[in-house]
Amino acid sequence: MNAYIKFFLTIFLTFQIHAATGIETIEILGGRASQIPIAITPFDEQVQFKQLQAQKINQILANDLIRSGLFDILNTDGVASIPRAVDEVNYSNWSAIQAQFLILGQVLPGTGNDTLEVKWSLVDIFKQKTVMTRILKGKSSQYRAIAHKISDLVYEELTGTKGVFHTKIAFVKKKTQDSYALYVSDYDGFNQKAIVKSQKPIISPRWSPDGKKIAYVSFEKQKPVIYIQDLVSGKRILLANFKGNNSAPAWSPDSQKLAIVLTYSSNSQIYLINHDGSDIKQLMRTYAINTEPTWAPNGEEIYFVSDRGGSGQIYKININTNETKRVTFEGNNNLSPSISADGKLLLFISQKDRKYRVALQNLLNNQYLTLTDGPHDESPLFSPNGHMVLFTYKDYGKTSKIGTVSINGLTKTPINVGSETIMESTWGPITD
Amino acid sequence: MGLNAPFPELESNTAEGSGADLSGSEADSGLGLDSEELAKLKASEVLSERSIYFDFDSFAIKAEYENVISAHASFITETNAKVVLYGNASYEGSHEYNLSLGQKRAVAVRDALISLGVSDANIETVSFGEEYANQECTGSACGQDRRTDISYEGE
Repeated sequence: MNAYIKFFLTIFLTFQIHAATGIETIEILGGRASQIPIAITPFDEQVQFKQLQAQKINQILANDLIRSGLFDILNTDGVASIPRAVDEVNYSNWSAIQAQFLILGQVLPGTGNDTLEVKWSLVDIFKQKTVMTRILKGKSSQYRAIAHKISDLVYEELTGTKGVFHTKIAFVKKKTQDSYALYVSDYDGFNQKAIVKSQKPIISPRWSPDGKKIAYVSFEKQKPVIYIQDLVSGKRILLANFKGNNSAPAWSPDSQKLAIVLTYSSNSQIYLINHDGSDIKQLMRTYAINTEPTWAPNGEEIYFVSDRGGSGQIYKININTNETKRVTFEGNNNLSPSISADGKLLLFISQKDRKYRVALQNLLNNQYLTLTDGPHDESPLFSPNGHMVLFTYKDYGKTSKIGTVSINGLTKTPINVGSETIMESTWGPITD
Repeated sequence: MGLNAPFPELESNTAEGSGADLSGSEADSGLGLDSEELAKLKASEVLSERSIYFDFDSFAIKAEYENVISAHASFITETNAKVVLYGNASYEGSHEYNLSLGQKRAVAVRDALISLGVSDANIETVSFGEEYANQECTGSACGQDRRTDISYEGE
């Protein structure tokens, strides 16, 4: 396993530490040893809230950075004095626990009613230098959002890649056989809110790359049809209600078009349609199943699943030339493709020996590794920065849940959004 | 294998709120069964068999269902009845791929009926995929979900 990780990450997770002076390139060579050791002190919180915060800022930061798989969060219990500001940092205390970086801060009352200010610093322990000090202001209701913003700033500073801790996800909650809802929440499951409720199944939500809409499949017309929910206006349009099934919406990178799957009276086939439902055209036609389209970031290729070779495998088609190539060869079936933002990694579900696992394939040389153990993992999607995977998992006889796995395979974390059946999730884009 | 279906019509997308509900409009085609035909449908033992079961990841119609399918083919041809074939799949695998597998099972039954002389116009195929499948089944119990159900309109 480590050899695989080493292979992948030397190519894809070469990232930079910008801290303090100059730029160092760190190559993640796999295993825990490659994680950045960081200490996060409890903040000096001088503001009392009416409602108790479920998690303090340092805990939110730790949970964020753990999820990415790139950080080793150090236990600070044994450290004698907790600094409230940079001038109180005793470097030898922190180098003693092998911290490379330290985050510390204070939560102070803001100038307005019900407001707060978080003054925090990122400190390089090795170099004995302050990397950054910032003050973030907001309402007390933005406590978690401010914490996620700190995580994003730290993440971008230390990895050279934008953080996704401020982003949103959407998922389907099935409460009973006839109660389904599409929810939106923070990426870690907090602040959930239902945006669509239905007595019939909802599947395949896909967040538009511009962040404004979610396309999804509903069975409310006694068969699958595709709707687009506008998150700004709250309105929805019926995108596709053709004869037979309408499903598997996939946004083009510019959010103007979707690839969708229709059946009419034959097997699933892929079509392209404008976001307003106009100008539909068939992408290709075979007697076999063609489904689960997803766009490559270049907007010119669509990856999809077909059983034309006898089992479900992933193929790609160039939408200008129609040139088609098979992409996956390992395993019995390979389903649900998703492409990283840099176009280099293919994420999918690989079925082997009746187990369904999240797998990654390097598209440059087709090397392959599995990130999870199954037995029934589904619908993997890259985080917008490509460093994490959102997916659905299910044990034998249990209800399904959603969680994240880091693409180095080191951290698997549930997203707790309820005891019901949770499934079919999608990840919203990075917003500034 | 050739394509059985003509290239699909692309003009049938219905706008939200127009009242043009697809399932409703197709049911109004005046091809419902009369009371005598309904009675025959109910009385016949072979015609009351409505489910065709398939193996894991399979779309081949097993020999044991030949009688059932040929009885339905004769009845549909005689009465000009309209049927909807609902394909299903077990929960394993992705929701979307299972929608396609369910559809393929519906299409397999459709093709068998057409090969026995039933007109394409009398058949609609819809897949429910795994959406109504038993999500807790293990082993052979999941086989109950790998099926196509034959449903008569107007029944």
